[in-house]
Amino acid sequence: MKLVIDENRCKGCNLCITVCPYGIFQEGTKLNKKGIIVPVLDRPGRCTNCRLQHLYGRRLCGLCQLTCPDQAISWVEEGPYEDHIVVIEY
Amino acid sequence: MNDDYEKWYREDRLPHIYCPGCGNGTVINATIHAVNAMGWELDNTIFISGIGCSSRAPGYISTDSLHTTHGRALSFATGVKMARPDFNVVVFTGDGDLSAIGGNHFIHACRRNIDITVICMNNMIYGMTGGQGSPCTPVGAISTTTPYGAAEPVFDLAELAMAAGANYVSRWTTYHVKELTKAIQAGLETPGFSFIESMTQCPTSFGRRNNLRTASLMVEQMRTCSMLIQKKNRLEAEGKPVPPHRWTVGEFVRRNRPVLGVKP
Amino acid sequence: MQGNIACAEGALAAGCSFFGGYPITPSTEVAEFMAKELPKRGGVFIQMEDELGSAGSIIGASWTGARAMTATSGPGFSLMMENIGYAIMTETPIVFVNIQRGGPSTGQPTMGAQGDMMQCRFGSHGDISIIALVPSSVQEMFDLTVKAFNLADRFRVPVFLMSDETIGHMREKIIIPDEVEIVPRKLLEKGELPFKAGPDGVPGFPQFGMGYGVHVTGLTHDERGYPEATNPEVHANLVKRLVSKVESKRHEIADYDLVNPEAETVFITYGPATRTVRQIMHDHPEKNLGHLNLRIVWPFPEKLLEAFPNVKHFIMPEMNLGQMVREVRQHTAVPVISVPKIGGEMHSPAELLAVLEDLS
Repeated sequence: MKLVIDENRCKGCNLCITVCPYGIFQEGTKLNKKGIIVPVLDRPGRCTNCRLQHLYGRRLCGLCQLTCPDQAISWVEEGPYEDHIVVIEY
Repeated sequence: MNDDYEKWYREDRLPHIYCPGCGNGTVINATIHAVNAMGWELDNTIFISGIGCSSRAPGYISTDSLHTTHGRALSFATGVKMARPDFNVVVFTGDGDLSAIGGNHFIHACRRNIDITVICMNNMIYGMTGGQGSPCTPVGAISTTTPYGAAEPVFDLAELAMAAGANYVSRWTTYHVKELTKAIQAGLETPGFSFIESMTQCPTSFGRRNNLRTASLMVEQMRTCSMLIQKKNRLEAEGKPVPPHRWTVGEFVRRNRPVLGVKP
Repeated sequence: MQGNIACAEGALAAGCSFFGGYPITPSTEVAEFMAKELPKRGGVFIQMEDELGSAGSIIGASWTGARAMTATSGPGFSLMMENIGYAIMTETPIVFVNIQRGGPSTGQPTMGAQGDMMQCRFGSHGDISIIALVPSSVQEMFDLTVKAFNLADRFRVPVFLMSDETIGHMREKIIIPDEVEIVPRKLLEKGELPFKAGPDGVPGFPQFGMGYGVHVTGLTHDERGYPEATNPEVHANLVKRLVSKVESKRHEIADYDLVNPEAETVFITYGPATRTVRQIMHDHPEKNLGHLNLRIVWPFPEKLLEAFPNVKHFIMPEMNLGQMVREVRQHTAVPVISVPKIGGEMHSPAELLAVLEDLS
């Protein structure tokens, strides 16, 4: 599963960054077309629900979704692995 | 947490009018998850609210709803529940709506122990109208009508509900979302008047004037300033000093007083 | 039978199944009777903690489909004003019985008056329109209560039975028919917008629990029921419709007695003064008096004033310092003589005869 933040609903309050116990979010840097800086997924691999919902058959953790005041967070099925470019800073 | 709770939201009305970081959205999430977990039907559930930011919530929920006058939500809820005891009635209200103008109705609804569930989004301020002080504004806090710091003692709504006779009383914060959801569900299950108070962050009206400018700061404060009621009772029983400036959270009372308005 | 009890009997005959009240002299008998009889018929009686709670509870009950009413008097009426405005804005059909007493403030709890006539029309804030009925006998307390429920359901507006302590505490024989005509409210058709009106200006009723998913709010709302408070057009359309749905039918629903339209001196009355005028007309047929007795006072049916072609003077005895006379004066060029009387007693025939003497 993949975590998706709905850019239409997010208002940039950054509460998800504060409450996630695994620290998967990070503050965004770019303004979207509504003028909001939407948080980005810094370490999506650490999200328990993304990794294990299929195994347990129910929602795990889910604190970000419960906390998000704008109902902007949801999980979707992940497509097959796509190549993407990774930028390494050192 | 099941995924069919989406049907409870009026999707065409989202994103809602609440400020970024408002805790009301979180409380609505918790309520919807709890209501869905109870297995209630959309057609059988009525949401009622007063006036204020908290009370805009039913406008975003798909069931029949009544957005009533300031402070009077509980009397409308009494009418609905007594006329049709088979309806499930949930009331959204705020701290000013419930304790200031609605105080009388609050006391009597607790006394009657009518079978409804009241969720109070206590943001310690009058949010919708711009940030005036409410009976729950902490002493010394700045608001537009208390520019020199609030001088009146704070109203403890959970204690009031317990004293007036409610069957289920608990208080949590929007930091403790999972416990809040479970508390709301317990309230929905318990027959009789169930009162769940949620300390909610209002970064725009309260936080901005009181050095807690972002929602994250307010939520962090909720984490540090909450104390479980069991711990508080234990400290008092042992005679140890209770740290000041703490909200007591947890389940205050769950009992079986006689109930009004349940279908026989 | 006492007037208040007749009113309660009328409500029960009309199918009232919810009463949320607060005791206040002189309307307490209505509440007490309903407390005894409603549970026998499967209805609900609840004594709320104050009049605001009473008004709130009956509005809530009405939305679940019940016919709901409350009974109060002057001080309680003033308290209910905000919720009355809410009922008007959300188009909730309910019945308020106001057994008027001497005012202002606590005034005369056990003496009659008609001092709330303007208040029922203009008491709540904003531009509103309501229906007010005034009985002048115990039989009318029964009949007009039944009519009040039917009008409320037809127009989806609060209807006021503006009685007073004189009629409320009077005892007369009445006839209770076996069956009364009940005109139930029209339910909304599925698929229609909940606040979109038909040609008569009244939308179908989206009753709770039937799957309409309606959001009812006192804020200015659009046809879907959602708050739309900053749109001038939506507000203007909504409020104009709320007012005109009642005002446009004022002559159609007018309920009155018109006696001797050829007369030159005509009494216009509502409530207890009607009885005095009938007495005078019975005792003095030689005076050639005319009489217009209004049973529905608001919306005011001004065309009735034109039914008297030869009239030279209208005389209006009222148990207040002249309230409805203002409305009459607006609509006619004929001089209107006001005969106000406060203090709690009805006009006596001698007083009205003295007025007639002064005229001639």
